[in-house]
Amino acid sequence: MPEIAIRTQKLSRKFGNLTAVDSIDLQVAAGQFFGFLGPNGAGKSTTIKMLTGLLAPTSGSMELVGLDFAAHPLEVKRQIGVVPEGMGLLDRLTGSEYLQFVGRMYGLDRATTQRRANELLDFMHLADRPKTLIADYSHGMQKKLALAAAVIHGPRILFLDEPFEGVDALAAGALKALLGRMTERGTTIFLTSHVLEIVERLCSHVGIIHKGRLVAQGSLEQLRAGISGEVGGKTTLEEVFLSIVGQDGTERPRLEELSWLM
Amino acid sequence: MADVAGSPGILTQIRAVAGLRWRILCNGLRKESHRLHLLGLIVVGILAGVFVLGLCFAFFAGAYSFLSQGRPAWMGLLFWGIFLFWQLFPIFAAGFGTSFEFRTMLRFPLNPTAFYIIGLAYGLADLSALASVCWLVSMTVAVASAQPGLLPAMLFVVVLFSLLNVTLERLVGSWLERLLSRRRTRELFFAFFILAMVSLNLINPLVNRYGPVLRPLALRIAPYFAWFPPSLAGRALAAAAQAHFGGLVLCLAGLLLYAAVFSLFLWRRFAAQYRGEELAETAAPGPVAVRPIARTQDTPDRLSALSPQVAAVVRKEFRYLTRNSFSFFTLILPPALVLIFSAQFSGNHSPLAERPISPEMLFPGIMAYLVLILMGPAYNCFAFEGQGIQTYFMAPLRFRDVFLGKNLMLLLVLAVEMGLSLVTLAWRLGLPSPPVFIATLAAIVFAVVGQLSIANWSSVNFPRKLEFGQMRGRRQSGMAVLIAFGAQLVFGGISAVVVFTGRWTQNHWFPAEAFALLAVAAVGGYFASLDALSRVAEAKKETLIEALCR
Repeated sequence: MPEIAIRTQKLSRKFGNLTAVDSIDLQVAAGQFFGFLGPNGAGKSTTIKMLTGLLAPTSGSMELVGLDFAAHPLEVKRQIGVVPEGMGLLDRLTGSEYLQFVGRMYGLDRATTQRRANELLDFMHLADRPKTLIADYSHGMQKKLALAAAVIHGPRILFLDEPFEGVDALAAGALKALLGRMTERGTTIFLTSHVLEIVERLCSHVGIIHKGRLVAQGSLEQLRAGISGEVGGKTTLEEVFLSIVGQDGTERPRLEELSWLM
Repeated sequence: MADVAGSPGILTQIRAVAGLRWRILCNGLRKESHRLHLLGLIVVGILAGVFVLGLCFAFFAGAYSFLSQGRPAWMGLLFWGIFLFWQLFPIFAAGFGTSFEFRTMLRFPLNPTAFYIIGLAYGLADLSALASVCWLVSMTVAVASAQPGLLPAMLFVVVLFSLLNVTLERLVGSWLERLLSRRRTRELFFAFFILAMVSLNLINPLVNRYGPVLRPLALRIAPYFAWFPPSLAGRALAAAAQAHFGGLVLCLAGLLLYAAVFSLFLWRRFAAQYRGEELAETAAPGPVAVRPIARTQDTPDRLSALSPQVAAVVRKEFRYLTRNSFSFFTLILPPALVLIFSAQFSGNHSPLAERPISPEMLFPGIMAYLVLILMGPAYNCFAFEGQGIQTYFMAPLRFRDVFLGKNLMLLLVLAVEMGLSLVTLAWRLGLPSPPVFIATLAAIVFAVVGQLSIANWSSVNFPRKLEFGQMRGRRQSGMAVLIAFGAQLVFGGISAVVVFTGRWTQNHWFPAEAFALLAVAAVGGYFASLDALSRVAEAKKETLIEALCR
């Protein structure tokens, strides 16, 4: 029985009358590269915010690295890293200052923080502008810095909300390699992305959320088999996604309504 | 083949832009969750209405009086008033305006002429322009009542004067936009702007000291102002009143020339914008320097007495302070104000030199004033965090550490500021007696630490995002301002009761003892409140994140 890194039970979040996340039961094993997919407004970011302590659930429970989040928030936070929506950077610091700030916030000693910050900046190709404020970084540079900050304390679970958006191909390749190595060493990665090709290439397991409900969960092979009916078929993740999310026929735009444009 | 819409007329586009401004205003009100803010806006609206209407009567009375007394040239004074208001008010009021960049209109199919005309029409929708037009109308009515024969000339003057004013105002706005497009310039400009406002306080001491020298110089310069637009407008009316047709034409031509020159410059500015002027926020990347590999610092940690989290927040706050021109400016302002105040009450040229004020009164007064202005930002202490606020909730720390770090930095700034002010006061006026000195210090501890708990609570409950060095949209939350005002009133009231009790009992040491007790209570209350405030922050984290990440 593999160790479970993330487990939610009946996790829900309401905003007034709107149920953004509706009783989801997620289960992600340790060391898995887990892709969390869904159309816009499906509840992905709300789920990630709850799992990382940025949003309180309305009901249900979350267990991360075997600890109940509500009962042990600090212990859980020590073991997770997050690249949140909007990246959460303090943009009037330099990259190095920000990494040192984050390292200290996670309780690392000064020397370790500085060493790791330098190594991460070098790896992310951010070291050549030591005096540039984050506010003056490009979007891609900010993304890389946010990722560096998320891993500086060596988390056991890494939450990434659209990590490759705006990152150039060269850096994206290096990041993917890094993330791959991290999962090999037991780190669990929970990733959301709209680019299905990235998820298909990186993730071993996928969960699909639609209108706040978890509508599918399992390994890529299991999901493909569920659609094509055969194990090892050539069904793409996009086809799987569209067939699950577009089942009720309301999701696909009807082109005939835009005849004036064609 | 897709259908392509035909070109809309300029009037349709102006209507659309006017509708857009109206919608922005309405939607801005709808977003406000605090009704008090809406109430504040209504009060401001009523006050603005009273101000404009009141001045309408004043301009009417002024114009009527000048004309009936046979002094039409003095109308120039009224035109000067309108001219200065029209040009300067938009800069002062930038912080209260609705944020909207006119340049965004460029993505629509506008031709340069339409862009120019919409730009001018947009300028006419400003409060300064609307108020100025109202006052010009009042003056026109006064002219029609006092000397109907001057009405045609007045109408010419008003039209040209309005045209050149709206053009100049848009031109200055457009230049400012270009100048302030870079963050650093914007921050420096903002700091200089505030410093300029503060240095207005220096006018009185300077006039006292250098008045006799400056007066002849001012008299020599004054005639040159006759060729400025407001004076030309006044002179045009004077010429018309004296049936001096040549003078009237010359002055109108002068106004027309101003309008033409401003229009030409504005056309060039708008043309540059139309062509796609680069106003990028981000500086162009410079050549990549070979970076020496950074070594791990072996120097001892100066903040090792603090927990790593508190030390990290203190360091971050210090860096933010030194990089925010506006906040950094608070370091210069208090000693400068102390210098200005003390200059009013001391020195050979002071008008109050014969009745010098005692440091027994001035010292506590100035310290109270410093507490008042320096504590203001504490009531919205997360204002500049932006997206970074999420870091505090993602990291494994209790929120009390964040409060401690932020409050420690504020106390440090206060200590430095008050130390500098104390030195300045001692130099200019001398120190007060020991009972007053100690009572003041204890009162400072009581007022500052006591307010910190309330300020932390206010920061969590009524956060408002502010941008570094940005004038537009710099508004604190209405509730935070109200809480700050209420808290300062309470602490001021308690302090006043203590001081008056000391005087009533004629016990010089009573205030010092009472304030010392209150200070101890305030410090105890502060530490007792930290855990409760951490829980409040956790409960309110969604409000905080939503308000600051917007």
